[in-house]
Amino acid sequence: MKNSLRFTWFSALVALTLPLACTDLTESPKSQVTPGGFFRTEAEVVSGVAGVYNLLRNDGTLWGYYNMSEISTDEMIVPTRGNDWKDNGRWLELHRQTWQAGSPAGLDDIERIYRDSYVAIARSNILLDRLKSVTITNQASIEAELRTLRAFFYYLLLDDFGGVPLATDGAVVPRPRVTRDSLFRFIESELLAVRGTLPLNRPANEWGRVRRGVADAILASIYLNAGVYAKNTGVSATAYNTCLGVTVTGGDACAMAIAYSDSILNSGAYSLAASWRSNFTADNRNSLENIFVARNAPITDLGLNFPMRALHYNQFTPAPWNGFSAVAEAYQAFDSADQRRQIFLVGQQYQLERLAAGDTVPVNDRGGSPLVFTDTIGDATLAAENEGARIMKYPIDPAHVAQNNGNDFVFFRLGEIYLIKAEAQNEQTAGSAPALVLVNQLRARVFSPVKPRVTIDRAAILQERLFEMTGEGKRRTDLIRHGKYTTWTEATINGHNAATEDFRILLPIPQSEIDANPLLCQNPGYGGTACP
Amino acid sequence: MRLVRYVVPILAFLSVMAIPLAAQGTGAIRGEVRDSVTKQALAGVIIRIQGTQRETQTAPDGSYSFADVPSGTVTLRATRIGFGPQTQSATVSNGGSAEALFALAPQASILEPVVVTGYGTTRREAITGSVATVDPGTANVGVINNANQMIQGRVAGVEIVQNNGEPGAGAQVRIRGSTSIGASNEPLYVIDGIPVSNDPTQGEGLGVSGTSPSLARSPLALLNPSDIGSITILKDASATAIYGSRGANGVILIETKKGTVGSSTIEYDAYVATASPAKRLDVLTGSEYRSFIQSQVALHNTNPLKGLDSSYITALGTANTDWAGATTRSAVTQNQNLRFSGGSDVTRYLASLNYMNQQGVALSNGMKRYQGRLSATHQAFNSRLRIGLNVTASQSNDDYITFENTGGFEGGVFENVATFNPTRPVTVTDSTGTHFYEIGPGSQSVRNPVALEKQLSDFGTTNRTLGNMSADFDLTTSLTARINVGVDKSTGLRQIYFPRSSPAGAEFGGLARQGNYSSQSRTLQAQLTFRHDFGGVHSFDVVGAYEWTQLDRDSVIAEARNFLTDLFTFNNMGAGTVQVNPVSGGVTDRWISFLSRANYGYKEKYFLTGVVRYDGRSSFAEGHKWTLFPGISGSWHLSQESFMSNSPFSDLRVRVGYGVVGNPGAPAYSSLVTFGNEKYVFGTTPITAFTPNNIGNPNLTFERTSQVDVGVDYGLMQNRLSGSIEYYIKNTTDLLLRHKVSQPSAVQDRLENIGSVKNHGIELTLDALPISRSDFTWRAGINVSFERNTAQNIGGGAISFGTVSGQGQSGQNAERLASGYALGAFYGPVFVGVDSAGKQQFSCSSGTTCVGGITTDLKDATRSVIGNPNPSMTLGFHSEISKGRFDFSLLVRGAFGQDVFNNTALVYSTKGNALQGKNFLRDALTDPIGLREASIFSSRWIEDGSFLRLQNVTLGYTFDIPKGLGSARTARLYVSGDNLLLLTGYSGLDPEVYANAGLVSRNIDYLSYPRPRTVTAGVRVAF
Repeated sequence: MKNSLRFTWFSALVALTLPLACTDLTESPKSQVTPGGFFRTEAEVVSGVAGVYNLLRNDGTLWGYYNMSEISTDEMIVPTRGNDWKDNGRWLELHRQTWQAGSPAGLDDIERIYRDSYVAIARSNILLDRLKSVTITNQASIEAELRTLRAFFYYLLLDDFGGVPLATDGAVVPRPRVTRDSLFRFIESELLAVRGTLPLNRPANEWGRVRRGVADAILASIYLNAGVYAKNTGVSATAYNTCLGVTVTGGDACAMAIAYSDSILNSGAYSLAASWRSNFTADNRNSLENIFVARNAPITDLGLNFPMRALHYNQFTPAPWNGFSAVAEAYQAFDSADQRRQIFLVGQQYQLERLAAGDTVPVNDRGGSPLVFTDTIGDATLAAENEGARIMKYPIDPAHVAQNNGNDFVFFRLGEIYLIKAEAQNEQTAGSAPALVLVNQLRARVFSPVKPRVTIDRAAILQERLFEMTGEGKRRTDLIRHGKYTTWTEATINGHNAATEDFRILLPIPQSEIDANPLLCQNPGYGGTACP
Repeated sequence: MRLVRYVVPILAFLSVMAIPLAAQGTGAIRGEVRDSVTKQALAGVIIRIQGTQRETQTAPDGSYSFADVPSGTVTLRATRIGFGPQTQSATVSNGGSAEALFALAPQASILEPVVVTGYGTTRREAITGSVATVDPGTANVGVINNANQMIQGRVAGVEIVQNNGEPGAGAQVRIRGSTSIGASNEPLYVIDGIPVSNDPTQGEGLGVSGTSPSLARSPLALLNPSDIGSITILKDASATAIYGSRGANGVILIETKKGTVGSSTIEYDAYVATASPAKRLDVLTGSEYRSFIQSQVALHNTNPLKGLDSSYITALGTANTDWAGATTRSAVTQNQNLRFSGGSDVTRYLASLNYMNQQGVALSNGMKRYQGRLSATHQAFNSRLRIGLNVTASQSNDDYITFENTGGFEGGVFENVATFNPTRPVTVTDSTGTHFYEIGPGSQSVRNPVALEKQLSDFGTTNRTLGNMSADFDLTTSLTARINVGVDKSTGLRQIYFPRSSPAGAEFGGLARQGNYSSQSRTLQAQLTFRHDFGGVHSFDVVGAYEWTQLDRDSVIAEARNFLTDLFTFNNMGAGTVQVNPVSGGVTDRWISFLSRANYGYKEKYFLTGVVRYDGRSSFAEGHKWTLFPGISGSWHLSQESFMSNSPFSDLRVRVGYGVVGNPGAPAYSSLVTFGNEKYVFGTTPITAFTPNNIGNPNLTFERTSQVDVGVDYGLMQNRLSGSIEYYIKNTTDLLLRHKVSQPSAVQDRLENIGSVKNHGIELTLDALPISRSDFTWRAGINVSFERNTAQNIGGGAISFGTVSGQGQSGQNAERLASGYALGAFYGPVFVGVDSAGKQQFSCSSGTTCVGGITTDLKDATRSVIGNPNPSMTLGFHSEISKGRFDFSLLVRGAFGQDVFNNTALVYSTKGNALQGKNFLRDALTDPIGLREASIFSSRWIEDGSFLRLQNVTLGYTFDIPKGLGSARTARLYVSGDNLLLLTGYSGLDPEVYANAGLVSRNIDYLSYPRPRTVTAGVRVAF
């Protein structure tokens, strides 16, 4: 009895003390980093910076921004082929410029641009906040690198949406939009502030990281587009929007576009590649012409998938998607002697990996007939699988791993700087002789025998930009500057064969973003709350 | 508030310490129990001395006895399944022996007298919440591999949809409908008092070419259905409040069988079953496909703008392959159980072994289970200390095939059944031998489905051990302390190889992957229970407990590609030249709780139950980790009142309950800012990029559901008719929903507590015993429930989900959530018809292409709610007849008013497939849609999914084995049929489907694994 009484008290004691013992619910993640105590060394901070770079090759840039820049223009179309590429009407919506804030394209491509650009900005802001409280090696240079990257992503938003919320710290709070002009001034001032701190060149193991040329290239580009970017109203959808007469830091925008182009041209860090094609091949990391690229590698999840988007199912392994095609007029505009026309695949098609190995193996379509790409597309809503030329600006990488090709995607290269300078010079002096020289320097390397232009004007420059830069994600910006974005036409049935509304030169703020941020207002023409 | 967690158990303890310990003389009680109708002796009747823990069972001759009963008047209660309970009082004198005789009346429903209600048991009369029980003996019929299947159709308000027809397939279990949008709607499972994880135990499979893998199988298969002793379902919040933060979706309590005293038995039961697909995809045969192509080419010849050019004829083969038939089979299942049990008054045991081998109706698909279980109980100190041990160890070996769950333009087995050219053969023989036919060498996006089944290896192995040990000690006759310690440990291995010789593996040069998952959950419960009956007037049943649970999960996945040979499969990953970065991860999750439940009864007429649970969960934000969940309920036993003595009701009670429960569905670390890793290349070397993968939410807390339940339990004609009627309203608030935040943000959304959902419903059950003669019994029951749910508020805007699968469907969602919508409402254009050009028409109200309210341009089509995937009524009907030595039972299930999105038909009844040399569903032959018209999601593909299914029919015969054959006493032979009949207007394979298409997606049918029709023959022998 005594024993069992003791047992009673013992159990009671156990029952009472257990609860007092363990009420700890603190969490400490095992497979993830929490920010406290991290980003203390240069290597740790650079690992964070790499996360900002990673968004250069993400959904927002190489999918959303790229698709919008190409497919909404006279360069590219994604026709519906039976069930293929119907995708809720999204692709033809892009091409016909019929998107809305809540339409399939609005909720997909347009949303990706907005979202991922801001993710990159947020990642930069978190690191810039952190750099205020730690001291690391190369602190100033890394800070300049982050501010340049952040300015680049703001530049993408400026280009597509106009003035958007501007944040320079890591707080997640609703913020209102700023005007397009003040976003322009912010990007400009940031780049001017840090360009001197950026290295002119980098060692091979830092290849892909920002150099001074990147800041200068963005500056040259925003100055050339100042007639669009630095204006809150009065951008014309149908007439050329000149940089001339727009005052920026240092003087007139056209003059500054030339000045920062010259800064690159005279830096000694870049030179035109002898072979134009080498700027885009799988080993284009060696090109001295490329200024700013998204690094890719033939490694799972780290490569470029452009061949998948364009090629026919039977041309490549793994089976591509047979989608993105050239607008017939774009292909037809090229001179047959222009080497740059070789980016188009037209006619009988071959297995491209075998072809790269020197082995000509014709392929058939899925019905079993020889696969012959036509340049025209009869009806974009009912296209056959062989219709449409394909743009292979970035040739396949023979060492590709599944979808991953090692070609770096080029955002800025010296060739474009030539054309920026030429266009700005032509604005200062119509028919400018030095501008003609620049254009002909680019033509000289792709024609044999040479076939120089004899005169120069705005139309010629826009056409040269098409020849030089088709498939580089610049066409939308160019057409808007030239007042041709809403008015270009093509023959394709149900394609873009009538002018669209003027307001299409700005994209709508995606409906999902407006739902999430009550302070956002909508661009004109898309309904919703108008901006003040 | 922190104090509460100490105060609750202390109060519970102190409140019972005041009871004086009485000491007096003892005597004995003995008696017997008979059937009041047949006058036969009843064995297995539980006799309990009320207000104490003492109970015993009657022997085969109906007799029972108690020794050492303290002298005085006690109340005895006799209960047995199928009979109404009875109480009697007996007066024990010191050293004397009292007698108490019972005559029990048959009763319609199978009601356990004592119900497991969580942290103890409750007398059925004292239950005030909404609690249902399933009799495992009745429910374990046909081929059943998991406890969920035993509940299906047997409990009102519990809807169980098996994902598909794959062996061991997971299920969507909804107790009183879906309440959550972003968090789980699955109930909590508690086995022998220990909450067990219902998360997959093996890693995900691998879809071909980036398509999603098929769904995980049910982790509940660890438990052999034959080992289940009782299943209780806690439905309303006043009942589930005892599980607090984990109670919002209802609780399923499972107790395993225990050894019984004095009866040393050996049981062997086994069955063999054969299954074949109840329905197959109805695609064109080879000759139909050929004549279709020929007709299209003829059309083209007369009008070059139409039809197909002649190259399509050249591409036709000469075979006639029925791919649906070639990929499926008559599958065999065998199941064997051996169980032995026995023991003394002091120590009892039960041990069982199970082997099950269930083939899938698709080739190369199935599951095997090896399982052993041991249960032991021991008593000491005059029964004051009771120790119990349960250990279940199981291994399941899963053989998977790659089939669709959701997907794009490529797919696994069933997509290729739908599309693979029927004029092509399964195998071809050439100079290199006989091999599978493929449309070309190397990687292909259209693949021979038989080859996919046979060439791709995908195996899963789970070893799971579930064990608990409990000790109960009676501190006084009324007060019991209990400690229960449990472990649920599983390790899962997934092994996959896509050979280089297969068109699915060619793109990688062969792909091998192995994934290891381990999960360990540890639980400690310390509990005090006070039970006392004051002179038959006031009865108290008070529980106070502390519980601590920690769940640790670890995983590692390795993958290699590009092998020289297929020889190694997944067994030598070092031989691949491409090594994919290995991935590993670890997560720890913790719950800590303090809880108390008090049940008070007055004169067996009025009962009141109060529950509080103070719950802490690690994954919520600092300062928001703890919440109090209360529940209160009461019942009035009207039929005990004297004014009811002349009423027709033999039993009538009214119950009202209210409670608040939670959904803890926030993954670990949801409230924290965390960084994961990506890769980026500087120079030529990939470097690790640490990037935020969660921006945290410093206010994150539990999702809460409050529920009011009103019920009436009734019995008529001496309970030969009985049942209940219940009505409930649930309001779920602070929904755990991933909500988009303002940009810039490093992650675009985070888990927030936003929005609310409202559910309400009515449940009716009726059980009847129309015939009860000594050699002929007929029992039948029906349960019906009506349920409605509506999203009240989801934080502004609308959320689209329910990804539409198939070629050309990306970016298309079938379901939408907005304020006022039913959860999972289908949303899209309204299909009107087809125009003369073969284009689909939709209704519209404005736009340039809108003429007379009709357009063929989706841009102008008006979108609206076009269907509701939630049934408005579910029904279960069961009937059991025993006549002499024969027994017969059937179970019918139905659900009505729900819509199903036939995603399979949307994508595969498209003649345009022929343009790509692909087959299609026969329905497309007769529709007027043009050859080149793309398939478009619209109301055309939303079908009524109402159905009535004959779930099971069983016929059994019991006989005595002649003595000469040893000591076997009885044997039962039976045949059973599962899914023999399905009445539905739904045109797809089966209206009960699930595809994981995001959030609360329901009823999306995309190329489901066919559901089998099964016939079983079995035998059960007891020695």
